[in-house]
Amino acid sequence: MTRDALLDAARRAVRAAGGEALARAVSERSVTARLARSRPTQATDLQRARVEILCVRDGHTGLAIASRTGDDALAAAARRAHDAALAAAHAGPGDYPGLPEPAPARGHDGFDVATAALDPGQTGGALAAALEVAEARGVELAGTWTAGAVTEAIASSRGLEAVDAVTDAQFKAVAQAADGLRGYAARTAVAAGAIDAAAVAAEAADKATPPPGAPAAPVDPLDGAGTAELPVVLGPDAVADLLQMLGVLAFDGRAWAEGRSALSERLGERVAAPNISLSDSVRFPGTLPRAFDPEGTPKGPVPLIQDGVAHRVVHDVRSAARAGGGATSTGHAISPGGAVQGPIPRNLVLAGGGAADEAELMAPVERGLYVTRLWYVNPVRSKETLLTGVTREGTFLIEDGRLAAPARDVRFTDSVLRLLSTTQALSRRPRLVGTTDFYGPRFAYGVVCPALRADGFRLTGVASPGV
Amino acid sequence: MLDALVDLMDAAGGRCAYADARWVDRSHEALTVVDGAIESVDIVDEEGVGVRVRVDGAWGFAATQTLSREGLQEALARALALAEAEPRRPAPTPLAPVAPARGSWRSPCAIDPFGVALEEKLALLLAADEAMAGDPRLGRRGAFCVAERAVKAFASTEGAACEQSVVECGGGLVAVAVADDDLQLRSYPSGHGGDVAQAGWEHVVGLDLPAHGAEVADEAVALLTAPPCPEGTMIVVIDSEQVALQLHESIGHALELDRMLGYEAAYAGTSFVRPEDLGALRYGSDALNVTADAVLPGALGTYGWDDEGVAGQRTPLVVEGRLVGALSSRETAGAVGLEASSGAMRADGFARQPLVRMPNVSLEPGDGGTLADLVAGVDDGLYLQTNRSWSIDDRRLQFQFTTQLAREIKGGELGGLRRNALYAGHTPRFWSGLDAVGSASAQQVHSFTKCGKGEPGQFAHVSHATAPARFRDVDVRAR
Repeated sequence: MTRDALLDAARRAVRAAGGEALARAVSERSVTARLARSRPTQATDLQRARVEILCVRDGHTGLAIASRTGDDALAAAARRAHDAALAAAHAGPGDYPGLPEPAPARGHDGFDVATAALDPGQTGGALAAALEVAEARGVELAGTWTAGAVTEAIASSRGLEAVDAVTDAQFKAVAQAADGLRGYAARTAVAAGAIDAAAVAAEAADKATPPPGAPAAPVDPLDGAGTAELPVVLGPDAVADLLQMLGVLAFDGRAWAEGRSALSERLGERVAAPNISLSDSVRFPGTLPRAFDPEGTPKGPVPLIQDGVAHRVVHDVRSAARAGGGATSTGHAISPGGAVQGPIPRNLVLAGGGAADEAELMAPVERGLYVTRLWYVNPVRSKETLLTGVTREGTFLIEDGRLAAPARDVRFTDSVLRLLSTTQALSRRPRLVGTTDFYGPRFAYGVVCPALRADGFRLTGVASPGV
Repeated sequence: MLDALVDLMDAAGGRCAYADARWVDRSHEALTVVDGAIESVDIVDEEGVGVRVRVDGAWGFAATQTLSREGLQEALARALALAEAEPRRPAPTPLAPVAPARGSWRSPCAIDPFGVALEEKLALLLAADEAMAGDPRLGRRGAFCVAERAVKAFASTEGAACEQSVVECGGGLVAVAVADDDLQLRSYPSGHGGDVAQAGWEHVVGLDLPAHGAEVADEAVALLTAPPCPEGTMIVVIDSEQVALQLHESIGHALELDRMLGYEAAYAGTSFVRPEDLGALRYGSDALNVTADAVLPGALGTYGWDDEGVAGQRTPLVVEGRLVGALSSRETAGAVGLEASSGAMRADGFARQPLVRMPNVSLEPGDGGTLADLVAGVDDGLYLQTNRSWSIDDRRLQFQFTTQLAREIKGGELGGLRRNALYAGHTPRFWSGLDAVGSASAQQVHSFTKCGKGEPGQFAHVSHATAPARFRDVDVRAR
């Protein structure tokens, strides 16, 4: 659907709803192609649209989502949203403070015309280039290429009318060498043309290769012990995994207001090393920008941790009202009316440091661990940001300041804020790590972050024995 | 709509080696009450068609909401173009044969949840929420219910033409207690999105949420001051819900044949189990008997046919500790020479390509009796109840789970509350410690509605029938 058609659908939905209402019409086109064992396994081409209609009645919200944009379908959805809000209002006044007043949103450079064309030939070409590299390197390749274009139009009974369009693309590769070692690499960008699939495959192949002179068999970094604490160099993908979870556990303004956040009653305190500055910066170079959130609130930068000190949390309309004290939405709603789980920062940026690269980060480490990426990260004690997860596809032992040997994957159980408190150095150039698994409607987001070195990474077991 | 799909498949027949098409019309309703206020009333309707084609050995899939003849033809063309653009298309391996699916299937539903007034549903949730209220240490309390209706039609170039209709309904409670740096939670009747079944509103009424509110809140608050869980290697008795999660993560996913073949290496991961392990691997003790059961009444992983037209069926996976079966699609079954698919191919709505997804994977009951009987056999150990967090490696081998609640077992009896219980292990070693499984009378069906896999991501709804079970030599820590 065109921008005009989407805006027209949003306007018609607001009219159909009557009273206080907001409508968000969203269209998605995307292609996803997957590889495994160096051959294509699945390819998906999606074209879909939906209209979300939020009705507000006596402080209560009703949300209905329709997958058709004809007048009849919108009227039916509007009626359901109205009935839902009205049914809720029968229980007495609610605490939703009302739709935000219209405010101008700034533009961004998050849309690429060529990517939006979604040429199947480009998808096939990217996979072919990656497979050629894999063949030359003697590794088996698994991976995923995906590109998409999402356009949304939003209108409200308060007079808000706005349209935004974004594109995103990602290629990720898992290389497996004949000896079983696996390596991972991925790149995400606004433009598919900015992603060199062959280079990503080559980086994955590098991670599946033992350092020069090292045996192929991975070593046990715990030396047979049940637990250990080691200096660690986390690559950007691993750092991003931790920061995504920190975003939920620490910066959700709703949880903060209800005392459930890791930062409840801790704003203004030192929570990380002085070299840690974390923000939600929707227009930072290399991120996946957006103009406004699903409630129509313009998105702007929010400093979260400045020089190690907890600074702010993010809000949607409902959480800001709950927090009180003059708080307003920062443009971080994840659905119209706010989601039950609260607002979430989706454009985290961790400022880079002084190290030229990962090799410089490793240089002072006598014995430690290099981690490419993490997997299945979940909270253990949320208020302490204590997480557990395992390393995956590119774990190495560091000895005498350099990669010494492939390491067996390990389980960690550690606090993100503790790791950020013991962060000694960060690499200079942050890069975008995209989260693009897309459960539900496509909504590309990510973390821009560098690699970092921290002390005392808490390991609580060896994951998969062998490789 | 079925006729349109059949016509589309007639058109697809000469253009690819195989094709199928699914129409899905899905309605979903979610109601949530938080801290005495109605937080959200969300209603989603979506309808569309997904067309899947096989060109040589490569798949292409396209989804559309344009349901006219032209719209369906255009989706078919997009699927073909995508498959044909794929490099290095493998030679087609045979799909395991299946008789064309014909007919219709419908899940049980006594009271249509979409016919119950919103006000009635909200009143029940408000009453349940009120039953949890009172203690200022509760940082959040919530009550919720969900309902879903999915009507599907399926046709293939092999002559399949069938229809299915499923209604799901469920709900639950959660209470979060907060003090200083600690946060404890309790939920009812499960730790993962309440209890949902293929049933109507009668299922939510049967959960009697208001009657359980006070206990949930009291336990959450009591956990704030409970002593930490003891640590060490010990005997544990695990409640049936946590057994369900253990089964789901370390057996169900590990036995998905696409993972075993490496097809999911780029995202969900692979498996420590290899295809050649079928019939040979010792997965656990003799007490371990596991069955994939897509015909279990009322369970979420139950269906007339999977999303490539293979009939729902029971498939033994582990018999007396030995691996005997896997969860397969027609392609993966064909790839390893199985005679037939186990019928485990499912998709999340019209806009996703089917994947190997576990149907209801259940632990067959043993002769361990009731929970009390299992506890009676323990002189010094721990009882673990209701999952809180979970993590397992990408080969489904090393896991670490925490539970909401633990109780010491001393002299064969349950003792006081313990908080922050964590246990970890390696899959075959852990299941080898399975000492006893509760009897059929202790078995319950537990549901999960957010089982993630695939790219683009897909959630599957699945249930597990499990009884409480007792395990020896479990590594327990205070988290």
